[in-house]
Amino acid sequence: MKFEKKRASSKQNIPTASLPDIVFMLLLFFMVTTTLREVDVLVSFRLPEAKAIEKIENKRLVSYVWVGQDGRIQVNDSITQLTDIQKIMYAKRVALPNVIVSLRIDKSSQMGIVTDIQQELRKASCLRINYSTLLKI
Amino acid sequence: MIKLKKKKIPEAEIPTSSMADISFLLLLFFLVSTVIDVDTGIGLTLPEFTPPDQQELVPISKDRLAAVLINENGDVLLNNEVIAIPQIARTLKPRIESKTDLPANKKLVVSVKTDRKTDYNLYVQALDQIKDAYFQVRSEYSMTRLGKRFVDIDERSEEMKEIRDKIPITISIAEPEAIKK
Repeated sequence: MKFEKKRASSKQNIPTASLPDIVFMLLLFFMVTTTLREVDVLVSFRLPEAKAIEKIENKRLVSYVWVGQDGRIQVNDSITQLTDIQKIMYAKRVALPNVIVSLRIDKSSQMGIVTDIQQELRKASCLRINYSTLLKI
Repeated sequence: MIKLKKKKIPEAEIPTSSMADISFLLLLFFLVSTVIDVDTGIGLTLPEFTPPDQQELVPISKDRLAAVLINENGDVLLNNEVIAIPQIARTLKPRIESKTDLPANKKLVVSVKTDRKTDYNLYVQALDQIKDAYFQVRSEYSMTRLGKRFVDIDERSEEMKEIRDKIPITISIAEPEAIKK
């Protein structure tokens, strides 16, 4: 007597026809959520750490000011002087009235430069600021 | 008679088996290049700029003012008493709490003043402590009076408005004196 294994007669392939669709869906999600880095940061900085911090929900409102370890200031895409900040930020404020200025200042900086920048921002009437910090664990 | 046989055209198909590979490649690119970092930091609203000759001095009574002074050596004075930075929150909290039910013009004003040579990191630490004190009071208020956690309250709800009215965060950043430049 011949023994035969019981086996389903149907094919055992996993249907892969819809695989590209699934992957494209994932792809689309990432394409939509990605914000590509717009600027190159030219200064080196290490952010301070803090506990009681808030998230900036709306990334479109944020514009950055960097201050590096060596005290250089970067706004937008280039190193700028302190005296130019007012002009640049005022233009930003006109384009986007509720702009939030995120100050990414190196933690070894002195308060002198921070206050100078704040004064310039006040003159440009960019009053919403945010000291960028990392979360202290 | 010759039987005219139609030539059978082979079915035209675009090979789609590599489509998944291609889209995976694209997906990988976007996965790698995505930055999902949320900007975090200490938010603050600067006062409007007024030229020095138009500035008015508004007297603030002593009992609603908490003055934090940080000098260039990192010493901190809170209302003329030397204090360590991690103690600021603990010291300020009862003062904020005691003013919860007072009208808006009697709430606590925290003034932070630094030297030009003060370390930025210390300044952020002090600000962090002040904010922490306010957040603690706010979350306790929402727990005891509203029966909700502060983080669960919606940004635009009436309850949030009530908390903001009762416990407003007023931090005044004084300009450092220019003498020690």
